[in-house]
Amino acid sequence: MGGGFVLVPLQVLWTDTPQRNANANSLVAIVPIAVAALPIYYFRKGSPQIDFHVALFLVIGSVVGAYVGARLLSRIPDRQLKVAVAILLGVAGFKELLFP
Amino acid sequence: MSWSDVVAIAGGLGAGFLSGTIGIGGGLLFVPTMTVGLRLSQAVAQGTSLVAIIPTAIVGGATHIWRRNVLLEPALLMGGGGVFGAVIGALVAVEVPGPWLARIWGGFLVFSAYRLAVQAIRPSQKTP
Repeated sequence: MGGGFVLVPLQVLWTDTPQRNANANSLVAIVPIAVAALPIYYFRKGSPQIDFHVALFLVIGSVVGAYVGARLLSRIPDRQLKVAVAILLGVAGFKELLFP
Repeated sequence: MSWSDVVAIAGGLGAGFLSGTIGIGGGLLFVPTMTVGLRLSQAVAQGTSLVAIIPTAIVGGATHIWRRNVLLEPALLMGGGGVFGAVIGALVAVEVPGPWLARIWGGFLVFSAYRLAVQAIRPSQKTP
């Protein structure tokens, strides 16, 4: 879990990648990672627990959201994008710290 | 189409949007959509989320490549490294002390958030 949450800050903080590129790179990198993780997850679990009906309807929404979000990205200034990422990481981080 | 299908589409829409803008897989919203919205178990939610992430990231990633937001070389290097990490992780992660792993992970996220916030406030003083 959390491929993007590692890839996005590492690129920006360590390699000085602009936030917009870092976010886009992360999403491209997630494709092979998720494809590799799926069979590992599938075969390691005794009984694979995937609800394909729910997955279908999630994907109907998410591909539209991803397309709109990706098109919108170039219009968001880098600084505001950074603030949004920082807030999201901060909220997720405090959640893990307080309710692990 | 039932009410729960509508909830799934709405949750998917939000997860996809975050995925496209922030660059995360979408699990952050996929999982609570299923556990809170559809009352599925955590195990089913995580397995289903992993499946749903793939087409979401393909569409978002392809749109980013088309819009020239992607620096292809680092993206491919990270993807390759991530695949390696996923295999290693699956092989070694047998018994991890759950709460402590979550706290270390949380600490990393909060620290990253702090550093990004500093960069956003003082863009001239970029860290090397």
